[in-house]
Amino acid sequence: MKKGAMLVTATLLLAGAAYAAPKKVDGYASLGVVAGKPGGTYTLALGDSPQSFMYYGVIDSNLQTLAQQMFDGLVEYNYKTYRIEPALAESWTVSSDGKVYTFKLRQGVKWHDGEEFTADDVVFTFEQIVMNPEARAGDAANFEIGGKKVQFDKVDKYTVRVTLAKAAPAFLQQMRTFIMPRHKLAKFTPAGGGKPADINSAWPTNGNLKDVVGTGPFKLASYSTGQKVSLVKNPDYWKVDAKGTKLPYLDRLEFLIIRDPQAQVAQFLAKNLDAININGAQFPDLKQKEVAGAPFKVVRSEALFGSPPHLAFNFDAKDPGLKKAFSSVAFRQAMQKAVNRERIIETVYNGLATLPGTPMPPTSSFYINTQKYMDKFDLKAAGEALDKLGYKDTNGNGVRNIPGGGELEFALTYGTDSSVWPPIATIIQDDFKKIGVKVNLKGIQSSTLLSTGLSGNFEALLLAFGDQPDPELRKPIWQPGGALYYWHRSTQPEKPGGEPNKKAMATWERQVYDLLEKGSTTVDAAKRKALYNQWQVANAKNLPVIMIAKPANIAAVSNEYGNFIYTLGVIPGYNPVPLIYKK
Amino acid sequence: MLVFLVRRVLTMIPTLFLISIVCFVLIKLQPGDYITQFLDDPRIGPETIAAITRQLGLDQPAYVQYLKWLGGVVTEGDFGFSFLNNRPVASLIYERLGWTVAVAGLTIVFSWLIAIPLGIYTALNRYGWAANIANFIGYIGLATPDFLVALLLISLTLNMGGTNVGGLFSPQYIDQPWSLAKFWDMLGHLWIPLIAIGLEGVAGLMRQMRANLLDVLNQDYVRTARSKGLRERTVIWRHAVRNAINPLITTAGLSLPQLISGTIIVSIILNLPTIGPFLYDSLLNKDQYVVMTLLMFSSLLLMVGNLLADLALAWTDPRIRFE
Repeated sequence: MKKGAMLVTATLLLAGAAYAAPKKVDGYASLGVVAGKPGGTYTLALGDSPQSFMYYGVIDSNLQTLAQQMFDGLVEYNYKTYRIEPALAESWTVSSDGKVYTFKLRQGVKWHDGEEFTADDVVFTFEQIVMNPEARAGDAANFEIGGKKVQFDKVDKYTVRVTLAKAAPAFLQQMRTFIMPRHKLAKFTPAGGGKPADINSAWPTNGNLKDVVGTGPFKLASYSTGQKVSLVKNPDYWKVDAKGTKLPYLDRLEFLIIRDPQAQVAQFLAKNLDAININGAQFPDLKQKEVAGAPFKVVRSEALFGSPPHLAFNFDAKDPGLKKAFSSVAFRQAMQKAVNRERIIETVYNGLATLPGTPMPPTSSFYINTQKYMDKFDLKAAGEALDKLGYKDTNGNGVRNIPGGGELEFALTYGTDSSVWPPIATIIQDDFKKIGVKVNLKGIQSSTLLSTGLSGNFEALLLAFGDQPDPELRKPIWQPGGALYYWHRSTQPEKPGGEPNKKAMATWERQVYDLLEKGSTTVDAAKRKALYNQWQVANAKNLPVIMIAKPANIAAVSNEYGNFIYTLGVIPGYNPVPLIYKK
Repeated sequence: MLVFLVRRVLTMIPTLFLISIVCFVLIKLQPGDYITQFLDDPRIGPETIAAITRQLGLDQPAYVQYLKWLGGVVTEGDFGFSFLNNRPVASLIYERLGWTVAVAGLTIVFSWLIAIPLGIYTALNRYGWAANIANFIGYIGLATPDFLVALLLISLTLNMGGTNVGGLFSPQYIDQPWSLAKFWDMLGHLWIPLIAIGLEGVAGLMRQMRANLLDVLNQDYVRTARSKGLRERTVIWRHAVRNAINPLITTAGLSLPQLISGTIIVSIILNLPTIGPFLYDSLLNKDQYVVMTLLMFSSLLLMVGNLLADLALAWTDPRIRFE
């Protein structure tokens, strides 16, 4: 253990009460949350049929949307600050060395079928399902810390002890993991005599829906293939509003299965859907209708999550001239000046985006403003900077030349099947051309962008990664040598899971690597934040990738419903739906 | 006749076998596989990717995967399982088959019921204003893609203040048992897919029927019949139309595979719970055994449709003999 980590940070967030204490959901007046009234049906869209009802058995965003309403984790996010607060665990303590977490469970919580929720369910969920490497949507890798499996022990009926091999302050984030009912699922796991892979075939969509039980605000009621999934209120839910009224307010939560985003808008306009998330392209039309008096509101919000697009240059480009240029910080800084972020925000996002930050979103408590390192769009300055670096047009054809090499020309890979990538790519191509840098556009399917990046088979690439509240959760992306650090693949370990290739890292990459490594074991919150501040500055100065914009989150909501809080999609531990009420 | 039937059915087997090889090769030629899409999911580590690859047998050589699938089909009638749904393919298809057959069947009936009389009418009254209007609508129907018609109808309905802009039922009826109200609600929704999918068929069939009938009306036997003094109605309905309709029977047989793949885009836009979008998703996700099974099913339908068309032709056209 490092000395710095020895500080005592054990916190007791709520005094552990020994009786069934519902959680009071309070303090969101600034988000416009008011006391609601019970009743009503709320209808949302689901992008496709769920593939199964077993959250850990299939990797399926539609099931995740449903599971979000049916299951809970031990902890969850505050809707406003994104800080971790109690959920199924009423309180917890962390040992002074940061390695032992003791969770006191909320008593009197019931599964949808009336069975009581206990420590057995928690231990079972982690040991038999989440950490089961055969569970397709399990999370075994995140529960191996310091080379050892995280250990879960039942202390008593309502207490669970978790032991880590080394301190990992971001571990608490993993406790948002949904807890599953042992009494229903044991037979699909080795604990109940099954094979490890059996869990994947539990709870199929054509099975008995009554078996699918959780502790969440809604219970599964019915499913019509390709048409609708209905959930009904869990009358025993463990949350109450500020006035003590039981949550959720709604009687029913229905999901219409609608694939096409345009069809979703049509269904929303026809009042068959009560709320939808929309994009910048759909905004003007809906906003116009709202202004003209349509019975809905278009809501714009600065939510935490969402994927800011970036421009990546391949430090390991096959062309030696490009490789040298791309891996040079000065070159990337020069190119950054030629990226017209304002124009992209204006024309591609209809103004519904802001300047990007570092890889941390402004709503995260770790965020610091590094915009002063982000150069203003200035083609002249960009050209001068390239001149200074020796990239001059020596043969007079309008394209700069690489000293001792060919033309300064590269392919920009982007996704064709999207409303944002093609226009961003064209704007970049256009501006780069004006400073004598030739860009050849190379369109591919958006779904293959990342695998193309990871294969190293590109020169420049447009991609976006989702934001998370804690930098630790995105370490594979931003730490040199990480599995998703695709723009500099030669830093990656020879074998997955091995030591990263530090020899290939530039000095600043070594620094970033160390900062993120230290951040993942530093227990002291202030020290940890200081490390991440340094990281964000290093990132902004050295530009591993050039961040382009942070798209805003927009939704349209029927006026008949109150307390709408935007959620981008499925974020375990962030579910404001129980607060929604019908006016 | 029976010999012909048996021979035709037997030749389907090697054909299907060859088709299955072609399909599998095509699936495997696509870049990436089912696993590729999970590479950027923060929840899924490399170990999990490896485990899933092994569970699905994707780590084995392609020919082994194919032979295993084929073995299952031949020996147990097992069409494999869906990677996406962790369930046997057959049950997934079965779940969606009902509405697929219903929607496709109704649109076929709809387009025939409208197209054939219109085709006959326009052939017999070539220069009337009604025929011209019908022709004009026919051209528009042919020229407009069905998904565009669907979008136009949705937009029209929305502007008129309607709410039935997709799906087969209003949300509140979807999981209700059948009732008169539910039936009416369905009819209120069904007209959009019927027109969107059927219109293109109407136009094509109408033009074909018209051309065939015009062709037949100039034949010697029609003139002979007329000169014999047969009534015009008998000439047209008993002799001309009956002959002119023959080529359309072949078309009808060929339209069977439309059940699966013909309406993908419209089904997505109109949100119909049919097999089309299911095939589309499976293709996108490279859910190989589902794709294989659906393509094989589609090929089988094409062959069966052809066979049925031949049998129907033999029944309607006395010139055709099997022996």
